[in-house]
Amino acid sequence: MTESLNVTVDRRDGLAVIYTEGYINNQGGEEIARVAYKLIDEGFKVLLLNLGGTKIVNSIGISILIEIIEKMIEISGRLGFCCLTPTIEKTFHIMGLAQYAPIFGDEATAISQLKA
Amino acid sequence: MAGSGSAGPSQPWGELLALAQDETSERALLERLLGLWCANHGAAAAALYADRRGSVEQVAVVGSGLPVMIDSGALLQAEPGRMRLPGGWLLFSPPGGAPGGGSNDPLPLLFAAALKSARLRHELKEQQFQVNYRVVELEALYDVGLAVAGTLDLNRLSEEILLRAVSLLDARRGALYILEDGRYRQEGTFGGEAGRWFAADDPALAAFLAGGEEAPADLLPGARYLLGVPILFENSPRGLLAVGDKESRRGVGPFLPGDRRTLGLFANQAAIALENARLHLRALEQERLEREMHVAAEIQRRILPKGAPHVPGFQLAGWNRPAREVGGDYYDLFPTRGGRVGLVLGDVSGKGIPAALMVSTLHSALRLLLDQTEFGPGLLEKLNRHILESSTPNKFITMLIAEMNPRTSNLRFVNAGHNSGFLLRAAQAGHVDELPSSGVPLGLLPNSHYQMRETSLDPGDLLCIYSDGITEAESPTEEEFGNDRLIDLLRRHLQAPLPDVLEAIRREVGQHTEGRSQGDDQTVVLLRRDPA
Repeated sequence: MTESLNVTVDRRDGLAVIYTEGYINNQGGEEIARVAYKLIDEGFKVLLLNLGGTKIVNSIGISILIEIIEKMIEISGRLGFCCLTPTIEKTFHIMGLAQYAPIFGDEATAISQLKA
Repeated sequence: MAGSGSAGPSQPWGELLALAQDETSERALLERLLGLWCANHGAAAAALYADRRGSVEQVAVVGSGLPVMIDSGALLQAEPGRMRLPGGWLLFSPPGGAPGGGSNDPLPLLFAAALKSARLRHELKEQQFQVNYRVVELEALYDVGLAVAGTLDLNRLSEEILLRAVSLLDARRGALYILEDGRYRQEGTFGGEAGRWFAADDPALAAFLAGGEEAPADLLPGARYLLGVPILFENSPRGLLAVGDKESRRGVGPFLPGDRRTLGLFANQAAIALENARLHLRALEQERLEREMHVAAEIQRRILPKGAPHVPGFQLAGWNRPAREVGGDYYDLFPTRGGRVGLVLGDVSGKGIPAALMVSTLHSALRLLLDQTEFGPGLLEKLNRHILESSTPNKFITMLIAEMNPRTSNLRFVNAGHNSGFLLRAAQAGHVDELPSSGVPLGLLPNSHYQMRETSLDPGDLLCIYSDGITEAESPTEEEFGNDRLIDLLRRHLQAPLPDVLEAIRREVGQHTEGRSQGDDQTVVLLRRDPA
């Protein structure tokens, strides 16, 4: 298991999917934020975070994800999560992320719902 | 981050009041105020910053070129103009535009109030975050407890425990060790290398787990700050959990005093889950062994003869009951050259699987040798060498093998250390002639020699070959069934059909032992010449 986070992006029509692989901690969270803010600067207002490759997230990572959600709200954009492990999904619900960023089971559903 | 422009309207108060009444427009209100400030002071950009721990964070901005976050130390060196406010700063550019408006300017007061509001909101948010995260911690403890019932795969469970521990403690690294055979074996590691194993009595490790600050050097090499706790089940150590380098937004640092308790509670829950998974694994292993034992028993049943060869003028029968699922007794009834018939009974030292394996070896070797070798001492000498080469030390086989010629009723036999067979003479009221041993058991000595002896069966004579599981079967008072009881039984059933004789042996041995568990394998082979 690795501590570093790999982030890749798939830019689609009006929506960008951010794929993560690894630990969403301070460093991982900052990397996601960097990529997300860059996408926002590029004009993307709908982002999907596919966490299928992530099994672990800590409180620092969560606080950074909350900042990204706040940023999306600020620009009247939409952010969603998909492919979460049950543990991470439960954590996101408890921490209130799910209130502002919907969680989807799979990527296809997430994309269709976020685009709607 | 777009501002709302630097110029404000001449009559802004109505609009400002409307923004102030809308809770969701706080940022827009601040940007409007900053816009007014820029217009009043000839600035192109201005931003409001709230004090945070060691830095200041932008709350609102108009214009561009001002940093989002800046260290407190660097703030004083910053190029833009600045104004200290209670709870934060106002930065503006160009810096040359000196603050104006004098003491009657109400905007700094409004900014100060806004900063106080932002600080309170920030603190509330942080407290809510901490409360929520405490719930996450409790959930993690609860979930690991639930895993007792849900996750019985030791590998998956170990990974789950390690990931949750690292996540829960905001650690950057971690390792899980399981105590096995007097040492802690690394079961999993996260975020980097960890030592493969540690002796359970390693004094440095013991001191560290007791709360010491110094960890063994290769526990989590490269980690600057470590925390470790034992995994205890009913006060007995089962493993250890170690995490390294606690994270914050500023990097990594030491773990907090409460973290040891959190990790300890988590380890207690993990101990129950791990113990349950271990017991589950053991049960699976036991199940596998039982399945294999069933297969072995089936193989052994197939080795034993399904019935007896038909020999006109004679009756043949055999019976075997192993003490365990598989046994070390072996018998066979088989036709040999020239229309003769062979009988063999072997008893491997010991019981269970090792003895059963020797039975297989004996069966295969005997069948092969019988095809190539004349019946006699040479057969047993070859068999002895084969058994000696195939068996472990202290394993041996007692065996009585006989060949009967139906035409002459002649019986030739070789007894390799086995109990004497009993030949009951019908014409002499059941007088017993013994078939005694003439050599040491097979598999003991490399150059054992055996003698073949001969006798003959008269009409009605009954031959009984048996294993010591019959004669040494003990009563509750530890009295053996013995040769005398067996001979008496055979005399009483001298004329009975052989299946009835076998049934009588089973029954009377059972009555003698009064249902005590069978201590040894029991086997009987009978041969009777039909009465005239």
